Amino acid sequence: MSKTQIEDINRNIYDIKNKDDYDYKIEKGLTKQIIEELSKQKQDPDWMREFRLKALDVYNKLQLPTWGPDLSELDMGEIATYVRPKTKMSNTWDDVPDDIKETFDKLGIPEAEKTSLAGVGAQYDSEVVYHSMKEDLIKQGVIYTDMETAVREYPKLVKEHFMKCVPVHDHKFVALHGAVWSGGSFVYVPKGVKVDIPLQSYFRLNSPESGQFEHTLIIVDEGASLHFIEGCSAPKYNKVNLHAGCVELYVKDNAYLRYSTIENWSKNMLNLNTKKAIVGKNAQVDWVSGSFGSKISMLYPMSILNGEGSKTEFTGISFAGKGQNLDNGFKVVHNAKNTSSVVNAKSISKDGGTCTYRSLVRIGENAKNSKSVVSCESLMLDDISKSDTIPVNDIRTDEVEFSHEAKIGKISDKTIFYLMSRGMSEEDAKAMIVRGFAYPISKELPVEYAVEMNNLINLELEGAIG
Amino acid sequence: MEELKLNQTPVRTSRNYNINNIKLKDITIPKEIGNFENLKLKGKTSLVKKASSLENMELKYGVGIVNEPNVKLQINIIENLKEPLELDFMLNEQNRNLVENIVINASEEAQATVVLKYETDKDLQGFHNGIVKVNANKNAKIDVILINLVNGQTDNFLSIENVLEEQSNVKYTVVDFGGKNSITNYYSNIKGKKADSTINTIYLGKENQLFDINYVGELWGEQSNLDIDVQGAIKDNARKHFKGTIDFKRGCKKATGNENEYCTILSDTAKSIALPMLLCEEEDVEGNHSTSAGKIGEKELFYIMSRGFELKEALKLMLRAKFNKVLENIHVEELKEQIISEMEARLD
Repeated sequence: MSKTQIEDINRNIYDIKNKDDYDYKIEKGLTKQIIEELSKQKQDPDWMREFRLKALDVYNKLQLPTWGPDLSELDMGEIATYVRPKTKMSNTWDDVPDDIKETFDKLGIPEAEKTSLAGVGAQYDSEVVYHSMKEDLIKQGVIYTDMETAVREYPKLVKEHFMKCVPVHDHKFVALHGAVWSGGSFVYVPKGVKVDIPLQSYFRLNSPESGQFEHTLIIVDEGASLHFIEGCSAPKYNKVNLHAGCVELYVKDNAYLRYSTIENWSKNMLNLNTKKAIVGKNAQVDWVSGSFGSKISMLYPMSILNGEGSKTEFTGISFAGKGQNLDNGFKVVHNAKNTSSVVNAKSISKDGGTCTYRSLVRIGENAKNSKSVVSCESLMLDDISKSDTIPVNDIRTDEVEFSHEAKIGKISDKTIFYLMSRGMSEEDAKAMIVRGFAYPISKELPVEYAVEMNNLINLELEGAIG
Repeated sequence: MEELKLNQTPVRTSRNYNINNIKLKDITIPKEIGNFENLKLKGKTSLVKKASSLENMELKYGVGIVNEPNVKLQINIIENLKEPLELDFMLNEQNRNLVENIVINASEEAQATVVLKYETDKDLQGFHNGIVKVNANKNAKIDVILINLVNGQTDNFLSIENVLEEQSNVKYTVVDFGGKNSITNYYSNIKGKKADSTINTIYLGKENQLFDINYVGELWGEQSNLDIDVQGAIKDNARKHFKGTIDFKRGCKKATGNENEYCTILSDTAKSIALPMLLCEEEDVEGNHSTSAGKIGEKELFYIMSRGFELKEALKLMLRAKFNKVLENIHVEELKEQIISEMEARLD
């Protein structure tokens, strides 16, 4: 009798490997000399070179986390932190070398740009190779460019915000990022400008035994709005790759930002990413997150609700298969009156995969009349997988409404029975339940990305139940 | 003074959250424990045997402070006890330190209710660091009622460990009101098929009291069950840390675990941290947890006050209603009255 199977994520597209062909690859390791050389290669201004060296000092002083997945296989001596592809940044796909363009074609980026995006940035290894935005947004004063250009052309804006939301002392991998960051996106949306169609940055790491450390800095000024989409993937190699990106979001008073991520790194990737938003008065940041790839992931986006009446929502799903340990979650700090947060997190574990939901809700002394609702659900698809929920709820005032609930379990026999009594086969019933489980996340994505997510959770149920 | 790190969680999370363990600075652990003679017994007292030594007193978790015990008791329950067995520990000037080790062994089919009450003389600066172990054999049913009414100058530490065999049932009812620092560690090894472990707790913190509550239940047995229900209120500058872990171990098919914690916050300087963990390595289980925090509902308060009650009385009524589920488990009327009266005094 064949067993019901829920297939692994189909990685055919993502596992395409190009030849490891580069213009420059820095020596493996993490020393002062390497950082100085990296800074020289990137033609950093002095302040950035000094910043990198200070961050390296902090990195050397900080300990690895004493919690979470085992990171002992990470050896920075075996990671090249900067790989420059054989091309300069271009604003037409025609100027991008064929092999790189083909990769992005297969990932569907140029096509999505034509049909559903207002701008696209594409990073290959350590540098952005393509960047473009619709003319009308340029006319409205929207800036969307790679971080290196932003450092050169908007130094005041960058200096004022760069690693102020996520200081290098936050944790060891933020310090690492501060020392070796390269690439990423810079977005500024001026006051009152509504960007109705999303911008998307896609990060592709091709080079083996290397790291990607892109920096994303988004400032949505007062009364403005933006939907930003981030995608990432890499082909699989035998040795570990490292991703330690950093996302800093400034959502000013009355502004709105939606930050969506579909992460599909390869299963040799250690994804130690940091994302944080500072939210102003009556402003809102919403996070939508799909986490499917990586060998190990430690990712906990954070909203700091500093403005009175500010809001945040987090909607996220993790899917851990064989050999994966996805330790994801969300953090929110309520620092002002009348703030609110809503968290809806889901996870699916199968084939020995481990999913952990780890979170923090802190409602501070000043956050009178604040509300927070947290819900997390975990689905176990077999008895060799693992699923943990580790939420910290820290309430420091009485004028508050806070609730947290979590559920864990398998696909309900009763629900399968109910659906079967309505004429469905057992396989169809199971498939429907798992798709329904993921639906609250996929409905938050633009249609094209919801389709991509549904493809990622490629549920193929065959035969009778074993 | 050396900083003590106590009551560690089974799984660590970021140390910035200050929840993995409790750090205590201002506590005095007596070098000389001395004797403790002020224990009053009620019920079938012949079952309570003073032991010269007790075996297997190591703890898997525990609070983390180990003292040489000055009270060692073994209680072997081999029948169905109709009346509760009551042990009343009163700390006073002559008996200011209590370090009791109590082992309750319940034979197959045995049933009993055991009441453990801890009190101190007013103004005494006492010290309590106890261990209670319950071994419940097949089909045994043990109810433990733990009442902590020590004063606000006394440090209170308690480590509990239970082993549950097939179809056994161990139910704890905990009233945790006293102590300058009240640190409780509870661990249940639910190994038997259809074994059932329950803990229902109420706490009430005032002034600068600190409650650090760490409950861990490991479900190993098929169709086993764990229920954790914690209701509490904190006022003034009181702090409460609740750490509750339901750990589904591989093989505990059709096991269930439910955890519910609600903290009523009665002042804007009181602080509540909760870490309700669900750990799972078995597919065929059902686990749920929920925690919530907030002040007393204004609509409900308004309704009660519209019936002629003053604010303070209305508050007391509402908390009493919240705590009633736990109080109903206490069938010793005199004890129940004492708890209600203590509760009301704490809310004045």
